[in-house]
Amino acid sequence: MSPVRRAVLGSAVLLLVVAGLLPVAGMILRSLTAGGHLGFEAYRGLLGSARQWSLAGNSLLLAALTTVAALLLGVPAGVLVGRTDLPGRRLLAALLAMPLLLPPYLNAVAWMAAGSASGPVARVLGEGAARTLSHWLFGLPGCVLVLSTAFMPLIMLLVAAALRGVPPRLEEAGLLAAPWRTVLLRISLPLAAPAILLGAALVFLLALGDVTVPPSFRYPVFAVESLSQFSAFYDLSAATAAAMPLAAITAAVLGLEALVSRWTGAGTAGRGREPGPPPTVPLGRFRLPAAVTAWSVAGLLVGAPLLILVLRAGGPASYAAALGQAGGSLVRGLLLAAVGGTLLAAEGFLLAVLGVERPRGAGAAADATALFLFAVPGAVMGVGLIVLWNHPWANLIYATPLILLLGYLARSTAVTLRICRATLELVPPGLVEAGRVAGIGWGRRLVWILAPAAWRGLAAAWLAGAVFCLRDVGMTLLVHPPGWDTLPVRIMTLAANGAPELIAALCVLLVAATVIPVGLLAGLVGRMEAGS
Amino acid sequence: MSLLALEDVRVTFGHRVALDGVSLAVEVGERLVLLGPSGCGKTTVLRLLAGLAVPDRGRVLIGGRLAAAEGRLLVEPEQRGLGMVFQDLALWPHLSVAGNLELGLRARGTPRTDRRRRVRAMLELVELGELAGARPGELSGGQQQRVALARALVLEPEALLLDEPLSSLDLELARRLRTEILRLQERLGFTLVHVTHDPEEADQMATRTLRMDRGRLAG
Ligand SMILES: Nc1ncnc2c1ncn2[C@@H]1O[C@H](COP(=O)(O)OP(=O)(O)O)[C@@H](O)[C@H]1O
Ligand SMILES: [Mg+2]
Repeated sequence: MSPVRRAVLGSAVLLLVVAGLLPVAGMILRSLTAGGHLGFEAYRGLLGSARQWSLAGNSLLLAALTTVAALLLGVPAGVLVGRTDLPGRRLLAALLAMPLLLPPYLNAVAWMAAGSASGPVARVLGEGAARTLSHWLFGLPGCVLVLSTAFMPLIMLLVAAALRGVPPRLEEAGLLAAPWRTVLLRISLPLAAPAILLGAALVFLLALGDVTVPPSFRYPVFAVESLSQFSAFYDLSAATAAAMPLAAITAAVLGLEALVSRWTGAGTAGRGREPGPPPTVPLGRFRLPAAVTAWSVAGLLVGAPLLILVLRAGGPASYAAALGQAGGSLVRGLLLAAVGGTLLAAEGFLLAVLGVERPRGAGAAADATALFLFAVPGAVMGVGLIVLWNHPWANLIYATPLILLLGYLARSTAVTLRICRATLELVPPGLVEAGRVAGIGWGRRLVWILAPAAWRGLAAAWLAGAVFCLRDVGMTLLVHPPGWDTLPVRIMTLAANGAPELIAALCVLLVAATVIPVGLLAGLVGRMEAGS
Repeated sequence: MSLLALEDVRVTFGHRVALDGVSLAVEVGERLVLLGPSGCGKTTVLRLLAGLAVPDRGRVLIGGRLAAAEGRLLVEPEQRGLGMVFQDLALWPHLSVAGNLELGLRARGTPRTDRRRRVRAMLELVELGELAGARPGELSGGQQQRVALARALVLEPEALLLDEPLSSLDLELARRLRTEILRLQERLGFTLVHVTHDPEEADQMATRTLRMDRGRLAG
C-alpha cells in the first residue's frame, strides 16, 4: 500500500474519530465518574425519577408517530418523483426536499403564527378557526406535523435513489407477466427495502433527538427537559447521564437496521452499474389525480408555512430590523457553512474512496461510524464536545469556531460520505486501473482522475455539507463560542421574546440564504451537464 | 530470461475458478496471442500481468523479477512499466485526447515541452493529430480505439497488453486497425500480448498463439 494513501486515508479516519467518537467516549467516562469517583450516581437520579420515564415515553411516542407519518408521505413521494412521469416531478422533489435543508423549527414558527390571534387564518376564516387550529396543533400533533415534514425528504430521497438503482432487467422480467403497478410493489419496492428501513431508522432517531420543535408546541420530551436543561445549567454529569440513553438508542436502532438489512439479504438495490436512467413508469389515468394530490400535499406542508412566514413578516421594515439584529449571525453562519461544507466534502470523499477500496473492512467501519454520529442527537454531540474540549489547554479549539467545525464534521460526514460513495460507484473501475497501469500514483489518481470523474458528486456533497452546517441548531446552540452564533441559533434565542414580525422576517431570511445558493448552484450544475 | 511470465497460477473469485495451473512466458519482441471463447480467463491473464489482479497460487514475474506470488502483490501496477488497452478502453472522459496521453507522462515528471512533443508525435503516428483537443465522448469507436492505443504507447512500455481492442468495431475497420497495430509494433519494437476470441485476428497478429479454454491453456 502506498504511504501517501495510508497517510491521507488514515488522517481522514482519525479526524472522524477525534471529531465524533472521542466526544462520545469522553461523555461515557464523565457520566460514570460523577462526584469524583467511579459509579452510577449520575444515572441513579435519572433512572429513579418518574418524570424522566414519562418524558422518555413522550419522546418515543413522538419519534414513532413521526416515523409512521414520514413513511406514509416519503415512500409514495419517492416512487412518484423517482420513477414516474408525474408532471413537474423534479420541481416537486425540490419543493418537498426543502424542509430537510432548513432547521425544522422554522415550520413550527410558521404554524404557530398561522394559528395566532392576528394570524392569516384568523383574518381569513375568523378567530374561531384560528383557535381551533392552534388548539389542535398544540402538543403532540404539531410536533409530528413539523418533524415529519422536516425529515420525510430523507425517506423520499433514499427511496427515489434506490428505485433508480434497481437493475432494469429485474423489472423487465416482471413486466412480461404483470403490469407496472405490480412490478413496483412486488419487485422494485422490495428491492428498495433496505433504503426504506434506513430512512425510517434515521427519521426515528432524528425525531427522538430534536430539541427545537417540541418546545415550540410545549410538548415535554426527554432530550429537551433533561439534556438541554442540564447542559444549559452546566450540570455536565447529569447532562452526560441523560445523553447516554439517547446515544445507546441510536447505536441500537442503527445496529438493528444493519442486522435486518443483512438478513433480508437485499444489498443490490441502489448500486446499479448499468448506464442510463431506468425506464419511467407511466401513471396512465392516475397521472392527473396523483399530480393534484402530490402538489396539494407539497403546497400544504411546504408552501403554506413559507407563505405564512412571508405574510407575517410584512414589509421591508421587518427585514431591515432583522438584518440589523442578526445580519452578523447570517454572515457568520454562511461563512461557517462554506468552510464546513468544504471540509465535509473532502472528508466524505476520502472516506468514500476508502469505502470503495475496502468495502468490508475499514470502509464499512467508517461508514457505520459516520452514520451513528449523524443520528446521535445534536445536543448529545454538543455535550460531548463540551466535556472533551472545555479545558484551559484546549482553548485554541474550544474558544474558537474550530469547535463548531469539529462538531459539523462529526454530525454530517455521513451525508457527504453517502453522496460521494454513490457517485464513485458509478465511476467505471477501468478509469482508475488505466491510471495505475500508466504509472500514476495513488494520490495523483485521486486528484487527476477520480475527483474530476466524480465532480458532480463532489459539488453536491459540498452543497449538502454546507446546508447541513447552516441548519444545525441542537449542537451549535450548546457549543458556539462567544460572538459566533449562527442565524438559526440567533432566531432560537430571539424567538422567546422577539416581536413576531421580526422572527418571521428572520426565518424568511434564513430560507432565502439557504434556498437561493442551493438553487443557483443546482442550476449551474444542471447547465454544465447539459452543455457537456 | 522471459520478459513476462506466469508460473502455475490459480485465480479464484469466490467459488469460481477463473484460472487454474496456467504457466506461460512472453519473450522480448514477440507477438503472443491468447485465443479462446468468452469467459475462458483471457482478461484475467492480462490483469495478472498488469498487476490489477493477484494470483491465489503461483507466481508472476516481470523482467525476471518476482512481481506477485501466493496472494501478495509485490510490484504495483504503476511500477511495472507495461501498457494496457482495456476491453472497454477506459478513456478518461474529463480530459481531452491530448490530456489522456499526457497524464502518465506528467506522473513521471516529464518536462512540459518534452511532454507536448511526444504527445503530438504519438498522435500523428495514429493519425489523430487534428483531434488533440477533442473529448473522448466526441470521437467515433475507431478513433477511441486509437486514442487508447496511443495513450498506452506514449509511455514507451516494454510490452503492450491488448484486451480484445477491436471486438466492438465492424470488420473492415478492425482489419485496418490490426494493420496499424502491426505497423506500430514494427516501428516501436514493443512486445505484444494480444487477447481475442477471433481466430482470424489471431492469424493476422500472432508470431505465436496459445489457446485457452475454461481457465486453462489448451494444447
Ligand atoms: N471480478 C470478478 N468477479 C467474479 N468473477 C469474475 C470476475 N472477473 C472475472 N470473473 C470470472 O472469471 C472468469 C474469467 O473471466 P475473464 O478473464 O474476464 O474471461 P474472458 O476475458 O476470457 O472473457 C469468468 O468466468 C468470469 O465470470
Ligand atoms: Mg475479457
